[in-house]
Amino acid sequence: MSIPVISISEAVNPYVASEVPFYKPHGNEVELFEHAFSKQLPLLIKGPTGCGKTRFVTHMAARLKRPLYTVACHDDLTATDLVGRHLINDSGTYWNDGPLTRAVREGGICYLDEVVEARKDTTVVLHPLTDDRRILPLERTGEILQAPSQFMLVVSYNPGYQNFLKGMKPSTRQRFVSLRFGFPKPELEQEVVIKETGIDPGMAALLVKLVSALRSLKAHDLEEVASTRLVVYAASLIKNGFAPVDACRAALVEALTDDEETISALMEVIYACFGE
Amino acid sequence: MPEFFVGRLWDRLITKAVANRNDDATVLFEDIAKPVGILFRALGGDAGLTMKISQSTHHPGKRGWLQRFSSSEEKIELAWRDHEALYLPSSINLFPEASLNRELYFWLAALAVESRDGPWFIENQQATLRLLAKFPGLQARYQRLLHAILSLRPEIESLADDNAVQERVLCQALAAPGSVSSLPLAHYPWHPVHLWFHPTPPLSSNAQLDPPKRLDAFEQAESTQSVFQDERRHKAERREIQERKDGFMMFFRAESILSWAEYIKVNRPTDDDENADAKRAADEMDTITVTRDGKSTASRIRFDLDLPPEESDNTTLGVGVLLPEWHYKKNQLIKDYCRLQPMVATDAAPSALPAHLTITAQRIRRQFETLTSVRAWQKKQDEGSEIDVDAYVQHKVERQCGTFAVDGGLFKTLSAQERNLSCLLLADLSQSTDAYVSSDARVVDVIRESLFLFSEALSVTADRFGLYGFSSLRRDQIRFHAIKSFEEKYNDQVRGRIAAIKPGYYTRMGAAIRHSGSLLAKQASHQRILLLLTDGKPNDLDQYEGRYGIEDTRKALGEVCKLGIRPFCVTVDEKAGSYLPYLFGIGGFIVIRNPSELSQRLLSLYVQITH
Repeated sequence: MSIPVISISEAVNPYVASEVPFYKPHGNEVELFEHAFSKQLPLLIKGPTGCGKTRFVTHMAARLKRPLYTVACHDDLTATDLVGRHLINDSGTYWNDGPLTRAVREGGICYLDEVVEARKDTTVVLHPLTDDRRILPLERTGEILQAPSQFMLVVSYNPGYQNFLKGMKPSTRQRFVSLRFGFPKPELEQEVVIKETGIDPGMAALLVKLVSALRSLKAHDLEEVASTRLVVYAASLIKNGFAPVDACRAALVEALTDDEETISALMEVIYACFGE
Repeated sequence: MPEFFVGRLWDRLITKAVANRNDDATVLFEDIAKPVGILFRALGGDAGLTMKISQSTHHPGKRGWLQRFSSSEEKIELAWRDHEALYLPSSINLFPEASLNRELYFWLAALAVESRDGPWFIENQQATLRLLAKFPGLQARYQRLLHAILSLRPEIESLADDNAVQERVLCQALAAPGSVSSLPLAHYPWHPVHLWFHPTPPLSSNAQLDPPKRLDAFEQAESTQSVFQDERRHKAERREIQERKDGFMMFFRAESILSWAEYIKVNRPTDDDENADAKRAADEMDTITVTRDGKSTASRIRFDLDLPPEESDNTTLGVGVLLPEWHYKKNQLIKDYCRLQPMVATDAAPSALPAHLTITAQRIRRQFETLTSVRAWQKKQDEGSEIDVDAYVQHKVERQCGTFAVDGGLFKTLSAQERNLSCLLLADLSQSTDAYVSSDARVVDVIRESLFLFSEALSVTADRFGLYGFSSLRRDQIRFHAIKSFEEKYNDQVRGRIAAIKPGYYTRMGAAIRHSGSLLAKQASHQRILLLLTDGKPNDLDQYEGRYGIEDTRKALGEVCKLGIRPFCVTVDEKAGSYLPYLFGIGGFIVIRNPSELSQRLLSLYVQITH
């Protein structure tokens, strides 16, 4: 009988989720993730804000029981932020691993959220990890880390017009298997809202109908589309006892536009769904 | 005269009595069009429909004695929709409360989402039922409107028997939609139902003709004429046959003239002479008039009468610039061959950005803001306001490890990354830009919108830019309009000049490009771009056309490139692929078909040009 060997880092690693967060699949994204994980392929997830990308990744990481290291990318992010740097304390200098290096060492999942926000010369550091070499060279320490088979790199971004100039270079993009997220179908979205907030199904149906009506205004009247996250916010407010019309105004309408005429028109849509 | 005075007084008195007392609760279409459109689209309406004002129509309903006495106009405005637009009343003041009048607009738009084809009486009830089932929140509003509408309808007791029955059925259909399936006939027509659509909406004028068939027949006839080789699309103008009350030919004998004269459309033989020379001389095509007969009338031939330039609306600046021209057959650059005359439109009134462009301009400005220079930290500098901690730590580490450490580069500075770019937009203002490129836009409209949008975009990125237009009348008069020089600010005066551009004359491109190049060369920026907006090939009245024109233009572009300027072309000529690669290179031009396409591609185009 073999005794299962659990490494110390996994037993007490705070980056491994203790329970699997709720996620409702839209299509085959769960299978795609599992296949990519087993075949050691990196994954790129694109979709609008608030459609479940980060929730999906945390769900899969918990399911696969791997530690998850999330990095919120921004313009000032440097390669050292990802890979690691030397720090100084009273005993001298010591090397401190960045989230990418830790994920590689421990065989975890490294998730770079909004990867296009980082500068392109920063994202180039991912290249050796994303081809069949799967190595991470650390120039400062002189190491070359070989990523274990459980390591996976996941990146995400929002392909809106603001990111036109900040798109990924083709040489980076073509190293990933890509997955496109959209907003879930009304029935699924209802389930998500009910599960997240505990609201009753009738009210959830009305909220989802309202947000579908608002989404049909994209490009013509509204620049942005109401995300599932906003619907969940509205539902939480309503569940807590706030009036539905006011909750929708605060969570949905005011978040989408500042123009007074458009706001009054969107309020009419809310009245059409909820009455006055 | 006393009779007139009394008559006027009486008329004023009686119309005031008849006029609606709810004038201060009036809601106007212009104020409500945008929110109503948004609601229509949000509830599932076709986003392709526009909102339009419905025309008032005659409704022969029963009028009160006061209306009959004053013989006020029997016209009301109802709503309806067709495949093009949703038509709403120009104003609603049925109710004394403005909020109710507003709600009626919203109700009509919501009802339009659910309306389908079908018998008026049944369909409106069914649409109401469907709408209330889908959006139960509208129930309270419907009840309010219903109550108010019913109170405005005629009293049933005051009506004749058959009309009373009809009115009762109507009221029931309104109060409980779907409960009645047929409307009984009556002697007088029913009082208009404002909660429903128009029972017999007027057809739009386009619906009476069938455009595609006519155009095809016309174009087929044209193609058989060998001389007419220009395949550009033409705007076909539809016109009603002029009703001629004095026809020349009489198809009936004069003796029978005692019977009432029927109007007969006189068939005048059309002039079929083909004036081949005239056609060739005027290869800029204008509007072709097509009557409902389908036969094409004579195409309008425009020819040059060697008129002197219009002095009134343009001021010449200076005596003119002499420029060379390339003669490709002689392989020689002929010096001082052309005279270019800089001009400026003096009487262009300052104006604001056209209303239909404001939303697009806003979007474009937002997009271009991402290109603006961002102040960023530049690290590892020898001097700076802050210590670069990373570099310092690295330095210290290397010192402690014993490796060689470079002294320096331990600071960081915050500085703006300079965008050093100048762009000259050269717009082709020749007569050929008067042609239509899509169903509602001429080339000059596309060019004008391009100028507006580019100016809006470039004023955000703080790049230096200049706007110029050109056209020519032979080699001694190349008109070079200064719309905005590099030093001028982009303001209402410039916008007024952009709005005032109009097509005329011909296209001697080479000279205009050379002059633009010299203007750009004076700019001190690192990157200098010449953007040409045109609709076709270079051509002028003399030998400047075809191969000659293209070769001279190519030579001019080469000279401009040698000055370090990068040329680029935006064209609406769908045949551009045949000659533009030769002039500008494969990546040096784009073809657009309509103004909306330009606004969508503007950002990508600009990035393509500048990076």
